[in-house]
Amino acid sequence: MLYSYNWLKEYVDNLPPAHELAERLTMSGAEVEGVAASGPAIKDVFTAEVLSVAQHPNADRLSLCEVNTGKEKLSIVCGAKNMVPGDKVALAVIGAELHGGVKIKKSKIRGVESHGMMCSEVELGIKESSDGIMLLPKDAPLGVLLNEYLNLNDYILNVNVTPNRADLLSVVGLAREASVITGAGLKLKDVKPVDGGALVETIISVTIADGAPCRRYSARVITGVKVAPTPEYIRKRLEASGVRAVNNVVDATNYVMLETGQPLHAFDLDKIQERKINVRLAVTGETIDTLDGHTRKLDPDMLVIADADNPVAIAGVMGAKFSEVGAQTENIIIESAWFEPASVRRTSKRLGLTSESSYRFERGVDVEGVVKAIDRVAAMIAETCGGQVAKGVVDVYPVRFKPADITFRIKKALSLLGVGAELRDNECLEILTRLGITSRKVSEGFFTVTPPSFRHDIKNESDIIEEVARVRGYDKIPCGAPVAPLASSASAERGVNGIRDKIREILVNAGFFEVMNLSFVSPAAFESSGFKREDAVKILNPLSEENSVMRASLAPSLLENLRYNLDRKNEEVRIFEIAPVFMRGEKLPAEKWICAGLIYGARNGLAWNTPKDWADFYDVKGAMERVIEGVGAQGFETSAKGSALMHPGKSAAFEINGEAIAVLGETHPDIQERFGLKRPAYIFELDMDALGANLGAGKKYSALARFPESSRDVAFLIDKDAAYGDIFSAIIKIDTKLIESAEVFDVYYGENIPAGKKSVALRVTYRSKDKTLTYDEVSALHAKVGAELTGRFGAELRV
Amino acid sequence: MNERLTHLLRQAVSSLSEAGTKDEIHAIRVLYLGRKGLFASFLKDLSSLPADGKKAAGAAINSVKDRIEREIEGRLKSIEDALKSGRLAMERIDVTLPGRTQPLGRLHPVTQVMREVSAIFTGLGFETAEGPEVELDYYNFEALNISKDHPARDMQDTFYVSEEVILRTHTSPVQIRVMEKTPPPIRIIAPGTVYRRDSDITHTPMFHQVEGFMVDEKVSFADLKGVLTIFLKALFGGSIGVRFRPSFFPFTEPSAEVDIACVICAGLGCRVCKGSGWIEILGCGMIHPEVFKAVKYDPEKYSGFAFGLGIERVAMLKFGIDDIRLFFENDLRFLRQF
Repeated sequence: MLYSYNWLKEYVDNLPPAHELAERLTMSGAEVEGVAASGPAIKDVFTAEVLSVAQHPNADRLSLCEVNTGKEKLSIVCGAKNMVPGDKVALAVIGAELHGGVKIKKSKIRGVESHGMMCSEVELGIKESSDGIMLLPKDAPLGVLLNEYLNLNDYILNVNVTPNRADLLSVVGLAREASVITGAGLKLKDVKPVDGGALVETIISVTIADGAPCRRYSARVITGVKVAPTPEYIRKRLEASGVRAVNNVVDATNYVMLETGQPLHAFDLDKIQERKINVRLAVTGETIDTLDGHTRKLDPDMLVIADADNPVAIAGVMGAKFSEVGAQTENIIIESAWFEPASVRRTSKRLGLTSESSYRFERGVDVEGVVKAIDRVAAMIAETCGGQVAKGVVDVYPVRFKPADITFRIKKALSLLGVGAELRDNECLEILTRLGITSRKVSEGFFTVTPPSFRHDIKNESDIIEEVARVRGYDKIPCGAPVAPLASSASAERGVNGIRDKIREILVNAGFFEVMNLSFVSPAAFESSGFKREDAVKILNPLSEENSVMRASLAPSLLENLRYNLDRKNEEVRIFEIAPVFMRGEKLPAEKWICAGLIYGARNGLAWNTPKDWADFYDVKGAMERVIEGVGAQGFETSAKGSALMHPGKSAAFEINGEAIAVLGETHPDIQERFGLKRPAYIFELDMDALGANLGAGKKYSALARFPESSRDVAFLIDKDAAYGDIFSAIIKIDTKLIESAEVFDVYYGENIPAGKKSVALRVTYRSKDKTLTYDEVSALHAKVGAELTGRFGAELRV
Repeated sequence: MNERLTHLLRQAVSSLSEAGTKDEIHAIRVLYLGRKGLFASFLKDLSSLPADGKKAAGAAINSVKDRIEREIEGRLKSIEDALKSGRLAMERIDVTLPGRTQPLGRLHPVTQVMREVSAIFTGLGFETAEGPEVELDYYNFEALNISKDHPARDMQDTFYVSEEVILRTHTSPVQIRVMEKTPPPIRIIAPGTVYRRDSDITHTPMFHQVEGFMVDEKVSFADLKGVLTIFLKALFGGSIGVRFRPSFFPFTEPSAEVDIACVICAGLGCRVCKGSGWIEILGCGMIHPEVFKAVKYDPEKYSGFAFGLGIERVAMLKFGIDDIRLFFENDLRFLRQF
């Protein structure tokens, strides 16, 4: 909320300077986000007195005046005629600056020197129009800066009022806070209008329907008002507070709302059917045309102010167009009420309609201040709009405010805040008194305290302790060092976190950059990974359709990242992301942590010392193998089965213990086309939860071999579609004790190889842990390998 | 005889200095020191000398012979050195060309800051917990003392999946989930992703937080100040100014916002700190008794503090990043800088 410093000053004696006040407010909980100087941007304009007025010797329309600044007498040429000797004026001296950046220089006008300029309100930026120069009151002192004399300088404080402090949403409220924290004296005045004539109850009737969320409703009637533009000073203050001026009646209600925090509404009395005010819930199907020009459909749990027939306002939110106060209005009803905050908030949210009024009601206004505010506004309207205030106030207030009793223990305060006995009972009680909180001593260090009606946010002991702490200053609380037991156990989550961090390290060291994408994608992207739309976790109020579904796969985001980078000429892309994915679940969606990666472009980038090779399937597979080996998982199997995004013949799944933990492969040609890629990208998606669950036991040492190994190579021709994985596991199984490993070191198709065949070369390593194998023993084993290859796979051994 | 020796030495030195190859030097060695060399003839002459002169002459001959021997060795070495350095010069490569390496990737700056924050709290004995990102309204709001119609809901504009299911707006629901399952004493941090319906130069609809809380008997606001001051000094440097000022969160009381002295202008006032010299860095407070009631902790017996920190904000301050959206654009030119 915006507050005028000058307005605050009206309520506080010895208010500290604006910037200091801002600092003090900030440090006690009312954060001031900005202090803006306001007022006309004028410089070196002083109060002065006209000593003589004579005709300019060379111009009929100009006068030549002698003006006293209090320090010197200056001769000034002036085009206006509305001054006589003895008048007090605003004089801009040489070097002065006026509204709009006009600078005053010494000048000769029609041959006569002028040493300054007497200013009009327009030139000073005070008014929109003026006749002649501005004349100041006769008793104005001489040589005083005009800004100071007229109090034109102001500061606007932009305060971030937290939702609990409804009491600060007014000038009086902030003044009261300023007084509490600075000790400056508060000057509050209760204003009562001069009322008379007919009793208000004889003019209108007010009822609150049973069960209506309205605790108090008061009204006054003023007859014979003259609706007109609002006086200047009111308009200025409203605008400084960000409220648009309308007319003198409406502006008075807004002015008093800004001043007291109590929203007020004025109705045209003659538009109110049967002059009856009924506070009730809306009826199904009821509508209202609100002041902002919209027709609103009302729900039966919305509170309205109705006349005998129709709603005339949505309670606490906005009034109806037809009953608004306009140029023709003569007689008005003023409303000041207390509506249930939750009710106003629900209505305002559902209608998508907020106002200065609803903002205050939903935070809670002072139920005891309702009538004070209506008296104040009635007096103001009578003063600025004329008219007769009818005798008395209608005040329907069936259940009166009962102050809360709260237990307050000094000991509890000391232990919660962690301060020693230097915080005395007296200091606490003195702070509470300043806050308007009364206290009764029950026993030593034990009090019953009662907050004032405007501090309905204070409900329990910790609220009281907070008040003491914040008014006293958080800086007075020392920095402590808590004593705590050693961390009891490794947290359950650490396992998962551990894998995530390890995978991050491995991938970064393999040249991958970590990316982070929004968790929501478009429905089309969701479906592109092969999921059904109905399984999506949809957001009811997305920022856009593009971001309306929680992603179930990370790959589409990575493809978007690839496209984004290619558009920026980043052409070698290795990226990965670690994040959860979401699928529709029972009560909450199922969340699963995934690590996905993408490789695109040259394998080694553009390097001077390595050939420029394009990355292929085996790069992404290698990366995946590296990750799985790096986290300590063992014994995964590869099967040829990728995801919907992948080329069916160039994709695979990794399984551990029969559970799929990863899919990887080349992008499907359709995907390549959709993203406009010159060549395929290679992607993987690793289910980290599944991997974590299949990590197996911890690390175990196995004895180093004591006897040397023997290696033999075997080369053979075999069907092109024969899977290396099958060959490998068949060989290893021939003798699990003596065959230590088999490694492929050449695969070749093409020239000199029959169609439909490929040439494969393996190195098989033989070793016993008990002895050195003889040449003959190795030969016998190697022969078995050859036999398996020819017998089982139809291979043709090459010699 | 001495004269002849001197002459011979001079001659040998001179021809050595002219010799440029090992072969030439070898020839010189044969010429002077070989079996049929010049010194051999000297020794022959020696036998004709009288016995008393023999000894002195022998010594003189040997001395010159040694000298020539040394000259030959020296010359040989210098030729070898020259050859070697010539070869080394030939072999010179351009060491300014880039090395051959597996290119190195980078962790996302948010991850880097998240790790730094976690490491500090781990050092203080905090354990790590996580919770779901799509969360029940109950855990995100209700149990944290934010009822359905509480205006504090305006502080966090929410994405809804259904009336009861939302994208969590902060990591605080992890507090509730942990406390429901674990009796005090506890010290937990909960890093994670959160969502708010907001998008501009300073807001992205998704960002990251680290939540932390500690509950035990007699945990006080002073403890909160102490722990967070240690943390901020570890994160931003030991001399950073830290201040606590009152604020409001429905789930803590007393509540505070913590500011650090502006890292850009060192507290003098600039655009980043809006001239105040201070930058808001985290929110915190003593856990509200209503929150304890929701998880069935006895508020008379236990007290605790909680805090929440925005990771992107810290990363922006630490790295001087002025647009939060950069974190989620994933431009490699950006990511490569960290």
